[in-house]
Amino acid sequence: MTTHNHDHANPYHESDRDEATNKAMAERVDKMEALLLEKGLVSQGALDKLADIYENDLGPMNGAKVVARAWVDPDFKKRLLEDATSAIAELGFGGLQGEHMVAKENTSNVHNVVVCTLCSCYPWPVLGLPPGWYKSFAYRSKVVIEPREVLKEFGTNVPDDVEVRVWDSSAEIRYLVIPERPEGTENLNESELAEIIERDSMIGVTKVSAP
Amino acid sequence: MKEERKAKSEIAEMSGSAALPRKSGEMVFHDDWERKSFTLAVSLSEQGLFEWHEFQSELISAIKEAEGDDPNHPSRGYFESWQASLESLLAKKLA
Repeated sequence: MTTHNHDHANPYHESDRDEATNKAMAERVDKMEALLLEKGLVSQGALDKLADIYENDLGPMNGAKVVARAWVDPDFKKRLLEDATSAIAELGFGGLQGEHMVAKENTSNVHNVVVCTLCSCYPWPVLGLPPGWYKSFAYRSKVVIEPREVLKEFGTNVPDDVEVRVWDSSAEIRYLVIPERPEGTENLNESELAEIIERDSMIGVTKVSAP
Repeated sequence: MKEERKAKSEIAEMSGSAALPRKSGEMVFHDDWERKSFTLAVSLSEQGLFEWHEFQSELISAIKEAEGDDPNHPSRGYFESWQASLESLLAKKLA
């Protein structure tokens, strides 16, 4: 496992404002908000909703598109497994902050599951924001020791003859699981396939089911 | 993935100096006014008062100005630059 380094050298991560600065900024923003509300250019309801969306609801659609492409295009899948960062960039998804993406394919013999044991490193450009449980101490500690038990808690039963591999993320390496394409989806096209691929299956705690 | 992704990618995935502050993938707001300034800008662009790229250009210039000769020690934070950009864009649009 590589060393965790969570300082992405982003000077904006920590607030080091003093109270006076904070108060002045708050007043400045409040003044603008009041003016815009008065002019009817924004509404309180819309503002609250937007805050919620951007803080909690950045969806994992990019990852689903990557997996769907891999399912329908064997050459793409090969490139994805060899160099996930470049293959994902082919689809136009960037925004990685120097981390490398690594894709792990689930097969009838191997089931992959991803964790970040030290904190919550997560491939956000492809999976959006991490779910709450991913960051929980219970998941981070238990999935390494008893992965099959944890998978059962997610309703995923992995047969004894299937090897379970647990991948520990770091600031440098982010994993994306390519779940198995379920039976009964032979007639679905790429974008229909993307619709059925849910976030948890790309973390490896669930399987994809046919619609 | 049955839910629609509601966050606009042109906003959520801005890159370079304009990239939204995130920690392990999550948007980071340290103080309430940051959240408010953020949602005001997004809401106004959704209402069509300006295109997102217009705001993004203002933001990039404002951050560059704050960085001066030393990008590691900007004279003000990301959201101070954000608010300044929004004020300057609004002054142009509402003039």
